[in-house]
Amino acid sequence: MAADTGQQHPISVYFWIWTLLFVFSAASYTVDYIGFQGYMRWTLIIIFMMLKAGFIVAIFMHMRWERVALITAILVPPGALLVLVALMAMESDYTWATRILYFGEDPAPVPLPPPSH
Amino acid sequence: MAVEAQVPYQEAIEVHHPHSWITKYWFSQDHKVIAIQYGITAIGVGLVALALSALMRLQLGFPDTFDFIDPEAYYQFITMHGMIMVIYLLTALLLGGFGNYLIPLMCGARDMVFPFVNMISYHVYFLSVIVLLASYFVPGGPTGAGWTLYPPQAILEGTPGVDWGILTMLGSLAIFIVAFTMGGLNYVTTILQARTRGMTLMRMPLSVWGIFMATVLGLLAFPALFVSAIMMLLDKTIGTSFFMPAISSIGETLDYSGGSPLLFQHLFWFFGHPEVYIVALPAFGIVSDLISTHARKNIFGYRMMVWAIVAIGVLSFIVWAHHMYVSGMHPWFGFFFATTTLIIAVPTAIKVYNWTLTLWRANIHLTVPMLFAIAFVITFVMGGITGLFLGNVIVDVPLSDTYFVVAHFHMVMGVAPILVIFGAIYHWYPKMTGKMLNDTLGHIHFWVTFLGTYIIYYPMHYLGFVGVPRRYFANGDMAIIDSSVEMLNQTITVAALIVGIFQAVFIWNLIYSYFRGKDSGHNPWKATTLEWQTPETPPRHGNWEDKKLPTVHRWAYDYSVPGEEDDFVPQTAPQTGSQPAT
Amino acid sequence: MAEATGLRNLQVVDDWAADVEVFRGVPWGKAMMWIFLLSDTFIFTCFLTAYMTVRMTTSEPWPNPSEVFALEAFGVPVPLLLIAIMTFILITSSGTMAMAVNMGYRRRRGPAALLMVITALLGASFVGMQAFEWTKLIMDEGVRPWGNPMGAPQFGSTFFMITGFHGLHVSAGVVYLAVVAWRVWRGRYEKQGYDIVEITGLYWHFVDLVWVFIFAFFYLW
Repeated sequence: MAADTGQQHPISVYFWIWTLLFVFSAASYTVDYIGFQGYMRWTLIIIFMMLKAGFIVAIFMHMRWERVALITAILVPPGALLVLVALMAMESDYTWATRILYFGEDPAPVPLPPPSH
Repeated sequence: MAVEAQVPYQEAIEVHHPHSWITKYWFSQDHKVIAIQYGITAIGVGLVALALSALMRLQLGFPDTFDFIDPEAYYQFITMHGMIMVIYLLTALLLGGFGNYLIPLMCGARDMVFPFVNMISYHVYFLSVIVLLASYFVPGGPTGAGWTLYPPQAILEGTPGVDWGILTMLGSLAIFIVAFTMGGLNYVTTILQARTRGMTLMRMPLSVWGIFMATVLGLLAFPALFVSAIMMLLDKTIGTSFFMPAISSIGETLDYSGGSPLLFQHLFWFFGHPEVYIVALPAFGIVSDLISTHARKNIFGYRMMVWAIVAIGVLSFIVWAHHMYVSGMHPWFGFFFATTTLIIAVPTAIKVYNWTLTLWRANIHLTVPMLFAIAFVITFVMGGITGLFLGNVIVDVPLSDTYFVVAHFHMVMGVAPILVIFGAIYHWYPKMTGKMLNDTLGHIHFWVTFLGTYIIYYPMHYLGFVGVPRRYFANGDMAIIDSSVEMLNQTITVAALIVGIFQAVFIWNLIYSYFRGKDSGHNPWKATTLEWQTPETPPRHGNWEDKKLPTVHRWAYDYSVPGEEDDFVPQTAPQTGSQPAT
Repeated sequence: MAEATGLRNLQVVDDWAADVEVFRGVPWGKAMMWIFLLSDTFIFTCFLTAYMTVRMTTSEPWPNPSEVFALEAFGVPVPLLLIAIMTFILITSSGTMAMAVNMGYRRRRGPAALLMVITALLGASFVGMQAFEWTKLIMDEGVRPWGNPMGAPQFGSTFFMITGFHGLHVSAGVVYLAVVAWRVWRGRYEKQGYDIVEITGLYWHFVDLVWVFIFAFFYLW
């Protein structure tokens, strides 16, 4: 196919994203360095992770400039994975609870979230 | 809205015509040759699985008679039979075989988008079959863990084939997934990006829709199996504990600790349930085309059929744990998965109604493919209804691991897709070879297979209700086993052997007709779809005339259109203007 | 077809309803690479889900990755030092890759090939550091796939499996990049265009993308 269908964008965009990725990586690294714990830590890590992932997909992989048909075809199916992850998180909580119930106390020094049931 | 005709990229492509025997029939890049290679390999390995089922039936019908079948061998038969049938026969034949053959022809493409990758796909599949069959030649023989390969038992002492068989099985699965991915990427990309002029998605024959959705499911579901195969390989070989809890085996405490067997079951069924639809959706699509063509009537509710295929595909990813009601998973899951399971019955039922309504007052030709198609609908309804039983937690619990389950899944995803495969072979064999299959042999094959399967599987529902457990080598003198069971088991075994032997009629028909069959002409069934409009039969490498692809003007189901001379209008015939455009 | 109404005015509906191709103007190779990456996403997510499950279900303590992966610099232990460097290297390689794509489409094949080689070298150095990290973990910390002195044995299993699988992807990417760079340099794509650079780039960015998730979920969690 003709090359003029390709993705052509100013180099400066890439430098910007490059810088942003550095900043977000440094930020999530700082979360660890400072030693935030619990929900604060997890929320921050996930926010920075999603920002980085979003920029890589949108700019580096040019998703932002693709037609909606391609964007939907690629971004919708992973929704199935969210179901898997959510259900497996519930399942793991349950397994953990039964283990504690039948085999004794959890000796984990890092407090795990309480089972949600 | 009118779609501007773009020039298909493939129009100008020169296909490379091979000359030596090797590049023409073995390392061929022609999708039709690859399809037939897939088909022959799959049927060949399927016959092995058929023989294994005959051995199992011999043991069940006449226990204590055959010395060479011991419990170990029996479990190995179960495992190999299940795995071969589901993966190496059904998946490979429906997608690798029919997918390869039909997609480019029905979409009006010259070939798959990357023929070289397609060729590699077959040879990697062939390798996976070799590795699988090698199980029988390694020390200890193939694994006897059951086709679900549940840990911890799959990799513990006491299970047959624990030393080598499990390794070849997992390795073979991983290789198969690589092969499938290479093929599957080709099928999806070809359907999405390489159709001919005028071929919109909503004009595609339902066969292509079914194969397309099944391939998408395969690309997204096989990763879960791949991951669990790798993790179990690691558990087995280097002693990680992904799936292995702290455990003692034969009085000895093992080094495993802290793994989760439930994790394997979830990952396996996250693959395993879409797998059911990977097998079913191509069958749905193909049977729609068979029914419409041989009933000389347009398919009822085409759009509904397409959306039902899509809906089933989407829903199939959120029903997996209905295979796990008795596994000890989170108690809330039963409600969720029972609900989604019953919801998925809606689009499935829509399809059944539409097949029935297509037959309603149609000009039904009871040809052999049509007989198989109708047999499919009946069998699928049977198996589907028992599926509703098993989808409900409260009904499933007492029926779990009984012959009711065996009867259910053999009806719905064993016999039903096989009937479609037979129908499809009788339907497309003329296009593949230029010869008709023998009709008399076809009728014999059909009636024995169809009636035989009912003699086999109907009584199994009853066996399940009276509590006969599945996967048992022998029932012995268990008090719970009713006295009727023995006689029924013998009947089933006799029927199964007869049906099994009569498949030879089919194989013979394939060989005999290739040499002595009637010439079929280009379009023996007077069908509308593109594959019947090729300039040559069988189509040459490149499918269509040089530098010219067909142009599609209408949907695939213009049968018995009022005012038309023939009772079918090919997709390539221009609209005359008086009819509403589709 | 029926008159244009409501939904049909949307570009996305129009594309899906078109003949010939759904992704208008997208070359076959690129469409296929995207679909492959979608499939690969499912593989990595299944790995990460398995990791989540074993970590949440274990009743043994989970080693603190921040300490396990600390590295001594100037006599002070710095948490995750090597991982931070690896992350920055991978991001940088993604940047050079993006510029290679840009150069390719400008038909400046010299710089495109050079940038791809730089990307490949950065990737190779990433794999090298990973080898160093594995060695340190195995030799100094005593972490094995089947167990470790600090707690749950699944720490080592999931770590070696996930980073190993990612490392294999990076290694394959390095080879892929090297081959394509060589062909670009030789001018093989002059006639058919430089989509191949973008396709290679998609794969490479995906590898970087996976690392973002591994970094967050394994090292920082």
